[in-house]
Parts: sequence; structure tokens; C-alpha cells
Amino acid sequence: VINGRRNKKAFFSPEEGWPHCSLHLDGRLGKHFTRITSLHPRRRGRSLGANWHLICRLTTRSLCPGLSQRSCPEPRGGRASHLAQVEILDAKTREKLCFLDKVEPQATIAEIKNLFTKTHPQWYPARQSLRLDPKGKSLKDEDVLQKLPVGTTATLYFRDLGAQISWVTVFLTEYAGPLFIYLLFYFRVPFIYGHKYDFTSSRHTVVHLACICHSFHYIKRLLETLFVHRFSHGTMPLRNIFKNCTYYWGFAAWMAYYINHPLYTPPTYGAQQVKLALAIFVICQLGNFSIHMALRDLRPAGSKTRKIPYPTKNPFTWLFLLVSCPNYTYEVGSWIGFAIMTQCLPVALFSLVGFTQMTIWAKGKHRSYLKEFRDYPPLRMPIIPFLL
Amino acid sequence: MAAAAATAASKGNGGGGGRAGAGEASSSRKKKGPGPLATAYLVIYNVVMTAGWLVIAVGLVRAYLAKGSYHSLYYSIEKPLKFFQTGALLEVGIVPSSVVLTSFQVMSRVFLIWAVTHSVKEVQSEDSVLLFVIAWTITEIIRYSFYTFSLLNHLPYLIKWARYTLFIVLYPMGVSGELLTIYAALPFVRQAGLYSISLPNKYNFSFDYYAFLILIMISYIPIFPQLYFHMIHQRRKILSHTEEHKKFE
Repeated sequence: VINGRRNKKAFFSPEEGWPHCSLHLDGRLGKHFTRITSLHPRRRGRSLGANWHLICRLTTRSLCPGLSQRSCPEPRGGRASHLAQVEILDAKTREKLCFLDKVEPQATIAEIKNLFTKTHPQWYPARQSLRLDPKGKSLKDEDVLQKLPVGTTATLYFRDLGAQISWVTVFLTEYAGPLFIYLLFYFRVPFIYGHKYDFTSSRHTVVHLACICHSFHYIKRLLETLFVHRFSHGTMPLRNIFKNCTYYWGFAAWMAYYINHPLYTPPTYGAQQVKLALAIFVICQLGNFSIHMALRDLRPAGSKTRKIPYPTKNPFTWLFLLVSCPNYTYEVGSWIGFAIMTQCLPVALFSLVGFTQMTIWAKGKHRSYLKEFRDYPPLRMPIIPFLL
Repeated sequence: MAAAAATAASKGNGGGGGRAGAGEASSSRKKKGPGPLATAYLVIYNVVMTAGWLVIAVGLVRAYLAKGSYHSLYYSIEKPLKFFQTGALLEVGIVPSSVVLTSFQVMSRVFLIWAVTHSVKEVQSEDSVLLFVIAWTITEIIRYSFYTFSLLNHLPYLIKWARYTLFIVLYPMGVSGELLTIYAALPFVRQAGLYSISLPNKYNFSFDYYAFLILIMISYIPIFPQLYFHMIHQRRKILSHTEEHKKFE
């Protein structure tokens, strides 16, 4: 039992042999430290076996007192030369955090991360960034040790990404908020508007319509998060949830306050304006959903493959001919529709801010498509056909 | 806070760097520095700004001597103050420190000049205005001359010392002046409904400038201590570093 966690694979199970034996070079072995540093890991022969046996026992005794009875597995003779070693240093302080001995060369970064977690359980794999260069890019989980430009001892630099939270959790929280908050304003719960308006209902049709559209939009988003989207990253930094929720919940409250206000003024051009806006909204919602489905079908379940999206039989996906991220195009369109429908300045401002952010994302996505695929369709713009 | 942010942005992590000439000894060694044309432009900019704030300082002194009292001195330096403080908007692009921080500090200064002092005529005769004007004037004269000398690689220790010491008094002084001025403006804003729009209206939007000003005042509470203690930290780092340098000379 390591640090209270019972691993299914025991730390020193005889079947696995050496690959999961790790040493602490951070002085945790205290007075035994000098003995270990005097060893040459590359020296072969019987003395090596004896030394490893000693190390194994010392490590076991200091790290897992409960396992002291278990016998340490002997190194598989002769195979030692094909196995790699990995040392993990802190990217900022260059402190040696962990030394992994006898790692399979075909091990992936994901497996190395798991090994690292065993010795530093507070750094679960999702919050580890391992890289070849302290200032370089993070290595991917799928990267294989053998294929990296390293010698038999790989030096990896570790950076703590901070507490992580899953994308699904963040999405569900940030979308459930606006759904709920808008309804509080729609039903005019007490303490928002004057007391004489408590639980009253607006006399304008457009206000009821707006509530349906807004609620539909966020219900759609919640369902897509649960059943449609395939995320390439499992997690994001924890602080993002506070930032994102403030944005979504804040704007939802601000918009809802005015739309459901007793002094709300309906659109200048009346039912005509509302009908047109509703049409834009519905078309863009359908479009956005079609794109999400098309993107989902590009990637098989559980995989992280990336392919160029192309138009399908669904006419809404034909926007792929002109734009890299039509989902964002349709999203902006939906909010413009909603702004016209409600003729509410805060909605227009929300659309503008959202458009700015989505443009940044679309440009980034467009750039990575261009980098990754030589044959990327040249007609496509990131978010607005021909323009942006 | 506008005063605090101004110095913090420039002195902060990489703030000012080599470009606007705020480089401390260590950072100017690491950074390559601007080309000769850019340096010339920056030197001219910093010299002009130093001169501008000296004009304001001199204007204050002369007005005080002429009037015999320190009340209502704002009117005598109103124009150069507006001109040179608004001119600081030019710094936003050229300072290598984060655009966000620089624009934040310049915007807050410009906000106080135009959206409070200029817009609410009744506060212009308040003593609190003099308080922040003096704080800004002294700070900016030192700051711009610091940049000028740094760019020319002839920074007198006195200027460095002044920049990293006088803030201890000037920050709280400036912040007090700013807060008192905003506070004094409140009743007039409420009375005139200044910059405010109420329901019902065609665009279903409302804005209460009075509430907005109160929010601004509240925002000083988290922001000012952070900036102030950051400055204190910088002071310890930079002035003790210079002491060590002097020992080796």
C-alpha cells in the first residue's frame, strides 16, 4: 500500500520485474543515499544484481514498510541493455524528482506519467506536463519513449499544471447556470424587480418566446456535452471554472434582467422583426447542431485523431466549404438572431464579446489545420466566409 | 490607484524593460535593447513627458505664490494636465510590459481626469484634486526622467532611489486624493443624472453612473494593497541589488 492507496498492480510484483521500481534521489533514503550514488547503474554483472537487490530492499523499507516482507524480484539477466531509464527533473528548479529505472522503450508518456504519480501522488497524470526542454512544448500522452530524441537515459522536465477539472464538469456547470438564472428572472422571483411585480408574467409575446429560445439553447448545449462532443483533452485548469462561470452566469443574469423587466420595450418593427429574428435563430441552432454531429462523426469514440472536416449530405454542413469553424459561425448567428428578437443592448454586447472570443479560437484552429494538413482547402476562412 | 498602477506597471515583472527605458541593470543586460531610431524616439518621448510634468509642477508653484493659498489651483494647470496625462496613452503600445496592465493604469488616470474631474465641474475646486495632482506630478517627473536616463545608460542613483522610495508616501497620497474626489462628485452625479440612462427605452438598457462610481471606489480595496506591496517588494529587490553592486565597485 503506497500512501494509503492500494494499487491493483503491486509495486514490486514478481511478474512485472523491474520496470516499476523507482528510486528517490531527493534524499528520502537519508543515510542510505551515499551508498546508492556510488553505484554505476550501467555496470553489468553479478555485483549489479546484488546492488539492485540492496537498493530495492532499502527503497521498500523506507517507502512501503508494509511490503518489507516481500522479496525483491531479481533483474532479468541480459535483458537489462534494452531497457531505458527516465529521470524527471523539475523544469524550474532542475531538482531531481524521480528516477525511473528499466523502463520499456515502447512505454508511452502516459505510462511514464502514471509511474511518476506513484511516487508523487499529489501530481496525478492530468496535471503533469512533461517535456524534453524546460521551456519547450509539452509531450503528448501518446508519444512513445523510443521515438523521442533521447539516449538510454531520458531526461524529462516536469511542470505542474495546477489542479485540473474535467471539461465535462466545467461545461455542465457553466451551461446549467444560465438556464436556471434566466428562469429566475423570467418568473420574476422576489427581490429582483419591485415587490408588486413578484411572480407576475410579461404581457409581451416576445418575452415568452425569448425565454423558450434561451432555455432551448442551453438545454441543447447540456445535451451536446453529455452525448455529442468528443473532447481531445480530458481536463483544464481548475481556475477556468470560476472564470467561465462568472462570464456565462454574469451575462445571463444581465440579459435576463432587461428582457424580463416590467418596463421592457418590445422590438420597434413588431412581429415582423421577431419572426425574422426567430428564423435566423432556429436556422443557426440547427446549423450549429449539424456541425457538432459532423465533427463527432469525424472522430471514433475514445480516439484523439484529427481529420479535415468536409461537407456532408446535410445542407447545414455545406458551410464547411467556406469556413473552418462553422459551429462558431452558427453560434454567433444564433446570438445575433436573439439580439434582434429582443432588441436588447446587453444581448448585442454579449454577442460581440462571444464573437471576439470565438474568432480567436477559430483563427487558432484554422492555423493548426493549415499546419497539420498540406492539402487544406484554400478557400476556407476561419469564421466568416471570405472575410475573417 | 492610478498613481500606484502607473509605477507598478513600469517597475513590475519585466515592466518597461529596455524599450521604454525602465530596464533595471540586470534586465538591460539580458535584453537586446531597441535600435538607434527607436531609442531616439523613446528618449524624445520621455524628455517631452518629463518637461510636460515639470511645466505642471512649476505652474502649481506659481499659482500658489500668486494666489497666496493652495485652494483651487487646478484651474491654473488644467490644460497641461489634460494634455500630458492623456498623452500617456501613447505608452500603451511601446512599453513591453503587458498591454493589459499598461492600458489599465493609463485608462484609470484618464478616467479620473475626464470622467470625474472634467465632467463634474463642482469638484474642481476641491482640495482632494490638488492632492492627487501633486502625487502624480512628482511621480511622473521622476518616472520619465528615470526612463530617459536609463535609455542613455547614465542613471543617477538618486533618481533610482527616488523612484523606488517616494512612492511610499506618494501612492497613499494619490489614492486618497482620487477617492476623495470621486466621493465629492457623487451627489452632483446623482442630482444631474450624469452619464446615466434609465428604463424604459428602445434598447432595453440602463446604466447608473452613480452606482458605477461607487463600484470603482470599492475596487480600490483589493487592487491598491496588491500594487503597493508589489512596489515594496520591488524596492527591496532593486535597491539591495544596487547596494551589492556598489560594494564590488
